[in-house]
Amino acid sequence: MVFVWDDKHATFRSTVRDFLAANLPANWEQLAHGPASEAQTRFSKEFCAKLANAGLLVPHWPAAWGGRDADPWTALILAEEMWCVGEPRGGQYMNVNWIGPILMRFGSKEQQERYIPPMARGESLWCQGFSEPEAGSDLASLRTRAERHGSSFRINGQKIWTSYARAADTCYLLARTGLGKNGISIFLVPMNTPGITVRDIPSLIGEGDIHEVFFDDVEVPDSAMLGVEGDAWNIVRAALSLERVGIPRFALASRMLERAVTALNNADRFGSDVYVQAARARAACEAARLYTYQIIDQRCRGLPTGPEASAARFATVTCERLVAEFVVEHCPDALAGGDPLLLAHHQRAVVAGIASGAAEIQLNLIATELLGLPREPR
Amino acid sequence: MDFTLNADQLALATALEGLAAPFKEMPINFRGFALASEALEEQLVQAEFFDVAATAGLGPVAAALTVERLARLPFAAEVALSMLVHPHLPGNAWPRPLALVEDGRPGRFVARARTLLIAHGDKLSVALVAPDEVEPVESIYAYPMGRLTRASETQARAVPLSPGDAAEVRKWLRVATAAEAAGLMQAALDSTVEHLRGRKQFGRPLGSFQALRHRMAECAVLVGGTKLLALKAASTASESDAALAAFHAQESATRITYELHQMFGAMGMTLEHPLHLWTYRLKVLLSDLGGRGGQARAVARH
Repeated sequence: MVFVWDDKHATFRSTVRDFLAANLPANWEQLAHGPASEAQTRFSKEFCAKLANAGLLVPHWPAAWGGRDADPWTALILAEEMWCVGEPRGGQYMNVNWIGPILMRFGSKEQQERYIPPMARGESLWCQGFSEPEAGSDLASLRTRAERHGSSFRINGQKIWTSYARAADTCYLLARTGLGKNGISIFLVPMNTPGITVRDIPSLIGEGDIHEVFFDDVEVPDSAMLGVEGDAWNIVRAALSLERVGIPRFALASRMLERAVTALNNADRFGSDVYVQAARARAACEAARLYTYQIIDQRCRGLPTGPEASAARFATVTCERLVAEFVVEHCPDALAGGDPLLLAHHQRAVVAGIASGAAEIQLNLIATELLGLPREPR
Repeated sequence: MDFTLNADQLALATALEGLAAPFKEMPINFRGFALASEALEEQLVQAEFFDVAATAGLGPVAAALTVERLARLPFAAEVALSMLVHPHLPGNAWPRPLALVEDGRPGRFVARARTLLIAHGDKLSVALVAPDEVEPVESIYAYPMGRLTRASETQARAVPLSPGDAAEVRKWLRVATAAEAAGLMQAALDSTVEHLRGRKQFGRPLGSFQALRHRMAECAVLVGGTKLLALKAASTASESDAALAAFHAQESATRITYELHQMFGAMGMTLEHPLHLWTYRLKVLLSDLGGRGGQARAVARH
């Protein structure tokens, strides 16, 4: 076991940091407050194109798709460095982490050639059409329907809590083509298709972040279906195994805790009465980091992701909460105009246990798969 | 970064399983508080396990893994300080067993120790002890506890450690606490899982009730996190990592000892079930090195 970075990875981290120092504008922290705001969306497109030109957008992708076959540690380091300055890639992190890789695995040749190159150039933004008013953590109960009409599908239904929907050019949409869990299919739907309406939902998370998306007789060719009809569950599982540890939230949480402690120190307010709370938050950040690293290590060795990924996610949710609570209690001014990045962190932290599925689902998985406790009767 | 064990470490882990096997069950008629095995320690001496930290290819990570694994046994043995702290005592005239006496209060293995670490506030000293300078103390803790009989006399001839040596020893004491706590928590958790799978109430296993499943899952995340932090601290030998590992161990143990006893109900209150062997060792570890406040001060300093 070795817990320090080798030269190759340390050098890559320096390269990414140098790039950020050279390319983040002075007002970046003011922009970072709304991950899907118009200002950040515009900035992220320019920024991702620059990242692509520097070979830093998709280094872990295969060379055939614009990458250089770098290992999963490289992808993690990239994600850590991006997330801990406030994620200047905006919603494009999803392309890099899982949408691109999923299309490489399950997409048709036509879909791959249409969608992957713009992702590798940093030009496209996607949204995920997963949750519905009646289907959140219980995703399998979704109702949006895609009915076949000749060589096309007609889609009707409603999605909700959809991040980036206003600015996205394509939706990764789950819709029902039959009954039950095996009656769900995935469609790649251009957001400018007639019949799609996007409505903003003002939220605590940040400007322009979440939306309702309505599908009224939206017609897509059957070539828009990803993989095999009814196979959505398998594809989503593959995506989740990539995404459960996709956002290294502990990196920003840890950085923001340091920032808060520095602010307290500067004001001569970091006293022994605060030490325990600070240590609790910091230990939680480090535990989440090590859990995540363990998953990346397994990935490097080609091992399947087990229930430890759920433990990594829960540990991450815990550290987000502890840091956010620390900041609110000890640096309350940060949320009232005092520090835009601490505010941005708070807005992301409060959703850590909810976005990509309630953390309680992870607790169920840990109980059943890691501990071997009997399932709850349904 | 590399989370895999090397060939030597894997071979050690296999050897350890064989060595631990005869000690994995509490004796059927045992109804006491402290259960310890000098026979286990003797076997560890014979198999040269106490040299693991200083052996090329094994090192402190293998030592921490050994401490964690042995802490899962129902039998307590003086392993953690001998394996992780002993290599960092100045000079080499300090025979094991080792024990720590903090601020004059009773400590684990003190009555059998040949070398004592004596902590007073930030000061740390080390002393050879004669058998008549220590005595056992009856307690509900599951370690054999002991205290000094002539504390001021022993303290007076103890060798004070320089600030640098004291910091080094204190750091490894933290790693030892974290590694031992990780093993104790894992064993207590495993035992509770078994109980929740078998014990039925309201017509179904207790472990199928979500109210318990979620709390158990949270406990499991804390235990796994403690082990990872302990191993990292053993590997990096950083004061900050050691303090974080010990903090997380004590923080997690505080919650876990309560939660697991709650889930065990009255059965966990009896001495015929081994749960207390792990939880009442954890309760001793909670106050190590100033408890969470002490670790938090160290985290703040580094």
